[in-house]
Amino acid sequence: MSAPDGPRSSLRRSVAVVWRTLRSMRTAIILLLMLAAAAVVGSLIPQIPNSPERVAAYLVDHRVVGSFFQAAGFFDVFGSWWFGLITALLFISLVACLLPRSRALWRAARARPIQARELDAFPSFVQRRVVAEPSAAAAAAVKVLQRKRYRVELDPTGTGVAAEKGFVRELGSLAFHWAFLVLLVAVIIGKGTGYVGHATIVEGQSWVDARLNYDGDLRTGRFFTGGFSGTGITLVDFEDAYRDTGIPMDFHSHLQLFNPDGSYARDVDVRINHPSVFNGVRIFQYGFGWAAMVQIHQGTRTLFDGPVVLGQDTPPGENPLAQPWVGVIKLSTLRPQQAIVLELYPDAEAYFRSLQTGVPQPMTQANAPFIRYQTWKGKLLDTSLSGLDTRFMHETTGGVVGEKWTVDLDRGCAISGPDGPTPSSVAGVACPDTGGPGTLTMTFPELRQYSRLQISHDATIPYVLGAAILIVLGLLPALYVSRRKVWVRANSEGTGAIVQVGGFALQRKDRFDEEFATLVEAIVAAAGGELVTDRAQVVTP
Amino acid sequence: MTTAEWARLSSDAFNVALFSYIAAMLVSFAYLAFRRDGLHTVATVIGVVGLVANALSIVSRGVAAGRTPWGNMYEYSSLLTFLIVLGYLWIVEARAKVRTVGGFVYAMAVLTMAMAVSFFYVGPTALLPALNSYWRQIHVTSMIVASSLLGVGCLLTIVYLLKLGSERRSIARLHSQVPPPIMGAAVDTSDPSVPHDYVAGADASVGSAATGSHRIGLPPSATLDGLAYKFIRFGFPVWTFGVICGAIWAQQTWGRYWGWDPKETWSFITWVIFAGYLHARATSGWKGTRAAIVALVGFVSLLVTYYAVNLWIAGLHSYAT
Repeated sequence: MSAPDGPRSSLRRSVAVVWRTLRSMRTAIILLLMLAAAAVVGSLIPQIPNSPERVAAYLVDHRVVGSFFQAAGFFDVFGSWWFGLITALLFISLVACLLPRSRALWRAARARPIQARELDAFPSFVQRRVVAEPSAAAAAAVKVLQRKRYRVELDPTGTGVAAEKGFVRELGSLAFHWAFLVLLVAVIIGKGTGYVGHATIVEGQSWVDARLNYDGDLRTGRFFTGGFSGTGITLVDFEDAYRDTGIPMDFHSHLQLFNPDGSYARDVDVRINHPSVFNGVRIFQYGFGWAAMVQIHQGTRTLFDGPVVLGQDTPPGENPLAQPWVGVIKLSTLRPQQAIVLELYPDAEAYFRSLQTGVPQPMTQANAPFIRYQTWKGKLLDTSLSGLDTRFMHETTGGVVGEKWTVDLDRGCAISGPDGPTPSSVAGVACPDTGGPGTLTMTFPELRQYSRLQISHDATIPYVLGAAILIVLGLLPALYVSRRKVWVRANSEGTGAIVQVGGFALQRKDRFDEEFATLVEAIVAAAGGELVTDRAQVVTP
Repeated sequence: MTTAEWARLSSDAFNVALFSYIAAMLVSFAYLAFRRDGLHTVATVIGVVGLVANALSIVSRGVAAGRTPWGNMYEYSSLLTFLIVLGYLWIVEARAKVRTVGGFVYAMAVLTMAMAVSFFYVGPTALLPALNSYWRQIHVTSMIVASSLLGVGCLLTIVYLLKLGSERRSIARLHSQVPPPIMGAAVDTSDPSVPHDYVAGADASVGSAATGSHRIGLPPSATLDGLAYKFIRFGFPVWTFGVICGAIWAQQTWGRYWGWDPKETWSFITWVIFAGYLHARATSGWKGTRAAIVALVGFVSLLVTYYAVNLWIAGLHSYAT
């Protein structure tokens, strides 16, 4: 090794070694198994994107192991640097393997089949005497092979034939592997530049696709640049249907869609399994619930007027439909600050039936709905829409408000309301007088439903689907077609010819034996059939 | 007939199928041990009876529930068992004429059914709206078909490894008894670098002559290996197709085609391992034992995908519990 070119050639050598290692099937297999192992970790340890609350609980329960997991990226395996590294290496290994194979296939597809000399050297070999002359026999063989869809080449003498079949195996295999690459890239780009979040829209209200309008669990891709679609959605109507047993049957949201400039686009129905695509976003039915329209006045001043989106906190094992819906209104401008906790029973009849029978009844429709409320006074620690921290608050009053009722929140009594089916057992008491001018009152004019939609943007879905289809289509020939080569040579013998047929299959060799035998019979028949002569009879026994 | 009567018929037929498979398993193992042709006939007849009862159970379950009867783990398992036994009787027995591995296959069928009744039994009920889609039908059907094919393929791989071990032992014994023949002496069969084809070839000439191999009575390892490969080669594209259909269904239902939900993750892991198996078979130095071990890892992954995710790992697919 001479000094001047020593380092460079050793560098080149090590690059070559790395390249060769990456190209080898062994590396690809090991990388595939590593990918599988990484995915195993991802399925056994809670993942931040799937269940952040379980990750938080895990970190509390297992401090040491948890912090190790966190440092190693085990809580977000599929977004971790090492998962990316394995994917990238697999990617390079695939490309390194596929490029030369694709080039080779391209060349082989353009090259004509090559003639062979000693046909008896092939695994399958037969020779027969036929009636036809050598050139006629070879021409007959060409026809037979072409009919069997071989690529056929007749040699210049007109007596030798080379044929091959089964390129589609390699073509399918390459299509499969390239499609797998395209799929990986498309998924990474699609998820990376896309976003997914949830929108809660109350019947009759509108929503616009912008960052601030999402429910708080908006997830954007790593390469997302902030371009929300600006699509407008109005929930005209939400409908839910149930079986008699209370099992949900169908939900759908009737939506009006608006272009980013605010102009009306069209009406759509979004239901489970039937999303709608508009302006680059996909809209899915995700959830639903009740929203109480509530007005709160202090004297003539309106403190609150709008829908309160109610949620559920169902204990495990309970039917959520039999549970009340809860929400809170925070009045942070009052001194002392106040909060009103609402507990909605959408179907009074079903509720009282469950009280009587002791069996929780699903409350699936609005039927004389009523709300139990509690008012709290003190200091609001968190003025956001959700949850109530009562550490610096005390409960003052409580009562019930039915649909179209008005209640006095200071004293917890009912001021006005139509006589309805809500029984007096929960209706509370009527106020003895109208109260002072600054009395805090709450009115519950109507109950509406809200729909929770999942809004997502993923630009590469068509490519992912196309690649997936190509994966399946490529896989079938790659696993089932075999490469086969056949040669025929006809040599003059008396008035006829001796036809030699040789060949082999690279895969599925057991099947080729059968195919080869029928091929030989067809060639012999096309070449005028077997010649039976005296000499042959002498030779044969 | 009322819904309750159809449900009852389904349960009864399920039990008939289960006990038939148990009987077929015992008789098949007896056939493997004693090699009486009559035993094989009896095992086949009982197996077919079980298959018919199994089919009846599936159909009547569908009538009782008023939908296609693959909506939960119990129903999947029943269909899976049917396909395992059908695949065995059709491909292994009728087409490949391999008769001695029935006991193992029936054992697999019995375990699958026993798991179904003990852990997953639920009455015939309607489905949640999210599970209602024709993509569900395609997805679930192809996943079960693929599971049965991959499952049988892996089972045959286990039998192949057993047989390979016994062949190697008997050849080693032969080498130690007989003075080494001039040509064979150079080959050390315990060396993993010796291609498995050598051993497979030896089976026909040397191995079957050796007492140990003959007593076991299983088909030659090359036959088992070839059969296992056939099943897995068939199962892999079906699995691929099923996973893709699942992704399409998930896109419709959950708004994303892939979300690393545990069942999704494990179906991917299984896919990757069997892809590894197919590549291993095409790679020198990985053929034979090493590829078989990859298939066994795939089998474990298949079981986790099928069972563990539903039993222990929470996710969107844990509807069965």
